[in-house]
Amino acid sequence: MSEREMEELKKLLKESMPAVRGPELRRDLWPAMRQRLAEPAIRMPWWDWALLAAAAVVILLFPTMIPTLLYHL
Amino acid sequence: MNKHPYVRAYLAGIAIPTAVLLLVMTGYTIVRYVYDIPVPIEKVIVFPMAAVPNAWGLWNVLYLAFLAKPKRHFSLGLFGGALPLLLAPGGYVVTRLLGFAVPHEVYQIAPLALPVGLIVYYLVWKYFVGFLNAELGIA
Repeated sequence: MSEREMEELKKLLKESMPAVRGPELRRDLWPAMRQRLAEPAIRMPWWDWALLAAAAVVILLFPTMIPTLLYHL
Repeated sequence: MNKHPYVRAYLAGIAIPTAVLLLVMTGYTIVRYVYDIPVPIEKVIVFPMAAVPNAWGLWNVLYLAFLAKPKRHFSLGLFGGALPLLLAPGGYVVTRLLGFAVPHEVYQIAPLALPVGLIVYYLVWKYFVGFLNAELGIA
């Protein structure tokens, strides 16, 4: 491919791909990103803690159910 | 990463029971062959080894296909928490088909074990499977 053909190819490619309009972001994304990073990885609501505690208490009181539970997990 | 979402859902679903199975199998092997506990669990081990992980994977695929965002947003925890309602009868049927004598204590504890199982499944699906789904871009 000659130099002239390369230039023509570049020109055709530029013409076929229109320039992006408004390349600037409408708002700053960094504050939202910082807020997301600051959030704890896992947030458990109180009712999930209550369910976990209830299940743990029942399992501790009746440990014979552990093999049955493991069989189905 | 938009390719093959159902394959990713299946893989995210089977990950947790597959990992747990390794621990459970180790425990059962030690109990059975080191301490000589007279419960021939190897007769029915096919259920947790094959059926349960596949059920988890398919359950996650069903969730993604019909209940996940953006179509509609049903709780993954509640959907996964319902899986024991299929697995518990399934496990019982396997023991009956294979002639495994279920210890009497299992029947006694079943009314308590089922709600505990529902809670465990709800929490595991909500937090662990949900995390894997998010990591694989299908949450």
